[in-house]
Amino acid sequence: MTTTTKGITALLAAGLVTGLAATALAGEIRIGVTMRMVSENGQKYGQMVVDEFDMINKAGGINGHTLDVTLLNDECKSDKGVANANKLIFQEKIHLLVGSTCSSVSLPIVDVTAKTKVPQIIPHSTNEKITQKGSAWVFRVPVSGRYYAGVNAKYVGENIGKKIAYLCAADAASQNDCEAMQAQMKSQFGAEAAYVAQVQEKEVDFRTHMQKIKSAGVDGIMIAALAETMARALVQSYEAGIPASVNRIGSSSASNSPVPAIAGDAAKGVFFTAAYAAADDRPIARLFNEMVRQRYGIHAPDHDFSQAYDLVRIVEIALGNADLKLDSANLAADRTAIRDAIANVKGYQGLASGPISFCAEATPQCRDGNRTAVLIAYTKGGKDYVTEVLARVTMPVDFGLK
Amino acid sequence: MNLLLAPFRGLVDFFQALARIHRIVPWLVAYVFLLPLPEILSATGNDYYIYLTNRILIFILLSVGLNIVKGFCGQVTVGHIGLYAIGAVTSSLLAINYGWPFWAAMPAAVVVTGLAGIIIGLPSVRLEGAYLALATLGLGESVRIMIAVTPALGSSTGIMLIPPPQVGSFVFDDFQKYYYLVMTAAMIGIYLSFSILRSATGRAFMAIREDVIAASVHGINVPANKLLAFVISALYAGAAGALFAHMPPGFIHHNNFTIIEMVTLLLMVVMGGIGHIWGGVIGAIIVYIIYDNTLEFYHIQPLTFGLIMVLLVVFMPQGIGGVIDRYLVTKRFVKLREEKSDGAA
Amino acid sequence: MDFDFTSLFAFILFGLTIGVVYGIVALGISLIYSGLDIVHFAHGEIYMFGAFFGLVFSEHMGVPYPLAILSAMVCTGLLGIVIERVFYRRLTRAGGGYTVAGMGMIICGFGMSVVLQNIAYLSWGADAEPFPVDLGEPFQFGDISLPKSYGLTAVIALLLMAVLHFFLKKTKIGLAVRAVAANKDIAFLMGINVPLMISLIFGLACALAAAAGVLIGPMQSVQVEMGYLMLMKAFAAAVVGGFGSLPGAIVGGLLVGIFENLGAAYISPNHKDIYAFLLLILVLMVRPSGLFGVEVRVKA
Repeated sequence: MTTTTKGITALLAAGLVTGLAATALAGEIRIGVTMRMVSENGQKYGQMVVDEFDMINKAGGINGHTLDVTLLNDECKSDKGVANANKLIFQEKIHLLVGSTCSSVSLPIVDVTAKTKVPQIIPHSTNEKITQKGSAWVFRVPVSGRYYAGVNAKYVGENIGKKIAYLCAADAASQNDCEAMQAQMKSQFGAEAAYVAQVQEKEVDFRTHMQKIKSAGVDGIMIAALAETMARALVQSYEAGIPASVNRIGSSSASNSPVPAIAGDAAKGVFFTAAYAAADDRPIARLFNEMVRQRYGIHAPDHDFSQAYDLVRIVEIALGNADLKLDSANLAADRTAIRDAIANVKGYQGLASGPISFCAEATPQCRDGNRTAVLIAYTKGGKDYVTEVLARVTMPVDFGLK
Repeated sequence: MNLLLAPFRGLVDFFQALARIHRIVPWLVAYVFLLPLPEILSATGNDYYIYLTNRILIFILLSVGLNIVKGFCGQVTVGHIGLYAIGAVTSSLLAINYGWPFWAAMPAAVVVTGLAGIIIGLPSVRLEGAYLALATLGLGESVRIMIAVTPALGSSTGIMLIPPPQVGSFVFDDFQKYYYLVMTAAMIGIYLSFSILRSATGRAFMAIREDVIAASVHGINVPANKLLAFVISALYAGAAGALFAHMPPGFIHHNNFTIIEMVTLLLMVVMGGIGHIWGGVIGAIIVYIIYDNTLEFYHIQPLTFGLIMVLLVVFMPQGIGGVIDRYLVTKRFVKLREEKSDGAA
Repeated sequence: MDFDFTSLFAFILFGLTIGVVYGIVALGISLIYSGLDIVHFAHGEIYMFGAFFGLVFSEHMGVPYPLAILSAMVCTGLLGIVIERVFYRRLTRAGGGYTVAGMGMIICGFGMSVVLQNIAYLSWGADAEPFPVDLGEPFQFGDISLPKSYGLTAVIALLLMAVLHFFLKKTKIGLAVRAVAANKDIAFLMGINVPLMISLIFGLACALAAAAGVLIGPMQSVQVEMGYLMLMKAFAAAVVGGFGSLPGAIVGGLLVGIFENLGAAYISPNHKDIYAFLLLILVLMVRPSGLFGVEVRVKA
């Protein structure tokens, strides 16, 4: 063969391969995931999302289509999250975006997906404002912070007392939890905060705060922070000599396993609101706990895991119901179809504390899928911690909206 | 090798010929050539490249500014990200709270950041080396923490819904339109950096970098020039910050300005070549492209970047700019000298 | 309204107990500065490695706590020496240009801190690990309870200072170290093996940081990101006390600890971390040589 013939054959082969690849690509549902991967559990439930989608593929895909999942790390930073979202939407041409874990990342991504008209389903961000932006493309699987605050405040006001101190960490979710709790305590009981302090995300020394809180003689201390920060605060609250009769209250991030693991005995009696309790005795919950324990080595999964799992199942249902063409000409139509399919999910009861329902309007009432908060307490701390469910409350759809 | 470099040499010769008409002509020509870039990128079917270019251009602005104070004036500053934050926050707050249009908010942000640059530069007048590094680090981090704890500055939820720039009914709200804005700013920034560095001020900076005592003996007002270097770099950072803030979706948060971002910026300048006139540009482009293409390896990405930085400083302290200088420019110079002396002989 | 003296005492006590830890790390930083003329920006990560080594020895290998401290110090010291020989040696030796010694070392330090932090992340994960050490019931000062780990830290800090002082002032090697710190060229001419001494100094400084890490483990849990904040506070401590002055480092640490706790208590709790930075900047502006340090001359 001459050089020219070789060259032409090579080009033809390349063209054939590309063409085949293009047709192969055409039949795939592309899902983009952007999450905070480098964190306590982030890696594990990010991995779980990918694994679950993988298992759907192994079982034959959805209506014969395979799922092509791209997982990116956004390090809980908004600029990286936005870059990831843009990359997934424009370069990978995804049909659906899953993201993100951090509220400060989900907030700007909502604008991106609204403008580019890509459905976005959120695995774990509780900041209220996410669904209040009026985007028709966002769906929230976790319980919104406004519901949590209502349940928590009601329990606290009725059982603990009205004089509460607040330690709020500098991340979007914790800040929202703190503010919402204070607002609820005020509106439900007319109570003002006895002490409020902001701490850095990775704060290690709370003793000064604890000393001042001790002098203030409060009924309860609310600590809204990420897991290990909260654990330290709990330990130091006891070291400072604040008696156990002063209840320690957590935000939803208190459900993460590093809290009891690191705080040890200091976690006993701490209660918080979440969307899932490992102490849940439904068979589906028990099976799930066992699966997570075996596959990812987690002693008792928190609601980060359950929400990620529920999200995959909801996506599976929606994709199964959607009428998808899956070729490059119909990308926009497919995205809209998926959005509508998710909006049609009603009364999904999985691991979550309550049923998850969406509807078509671009309102928080329609897009905050889960309105049921569980009030959970740690009865035993340490690495093999034990939780118990104190209450399960389904809030009215309009709760907490102004 | 020579054959590969020929087109580059040709390009350099072409621009140098243009420069003989007037200093600014090659810049205008380059600007016009770069204008249709988004169309070309778009033709690949992947609009993300335009967004990528926009991000890179903002980093170019930042790196060029940092290179002025760090590479050319030799001042060890590691608080630059704080200035970037001040620019971003100022512009956002003016736009959101007072309804200022971008065209007023951005210059205001640049001015405010310049003033902050004076504050950050004041320690530099009295401190050197590691002491200066510590002071600027402290200042930069303090800025970030202030933003994180002050509700008016966004606190932990960040500042959102920062309006995009608009002229009448033309809104810069997609990648392509924003490109024109950022590219113009970056071009102006690079051109100004060239002007500054080729002027007497630039020579003063370099003199200070090389030997402070000799410079002052020569009559250079060292404190004033050091401060000037800081202020100039602050102006760049302020512009970059404002452009970053108003870029759709218009959201900034205090953890966009952490030490990690500062280290990334350092890496850009070091890789491009500290003190090389193109250092900021080369570094920003290469680092961001490598970063974007290795996203799936997030596990080891920061480790690799850190290692590259350490190895660069130890083995290739002049960066890529240094390599270009050594192999392309110097060799050519030597070759031309030889040709000349051959001709004379 | 009568002033709450119990609380004031508590705040000062908290400041002292955490300040002593800042002091130990600052001691290492000052040591490196006097011996190698560089500011080591990766020292926070060395401290973190020390804490993790201590955790591994104590929790995973069942070594008793005091021995764990010692083992961690040795391991981290060796790690430090390796880093110094492989990377920093080239930079501190090469002469000329602005990319060396001043800026190069600083940038290299930043890069090294990223490298170390990520190696730790890949080895031990991002989770915070508890470091439980049973030392018995906490001390009680009236209303205030102070866990014994804080007392132990203070005792060990004093011990380390005493040992270091003895080493430097009373042993031959210590003399050699001081000679190298004072003037490398003359020390070399005197026949002292300067490169060896430099490695020794660096190793010592890293061992000190490791001790701080293992001591703080029970109080704050051990996590890959713990180095950065400690680094800032330790720098502030070293600057306040005066770079290169060893007693200054400890005093500086105590002052920083007290200052930030009093600031958080009486001025504003939200800005707690800024107080250390403010102190750092203030001292750098007003009196860069700190309390006990060598006079910093402005060249021009």
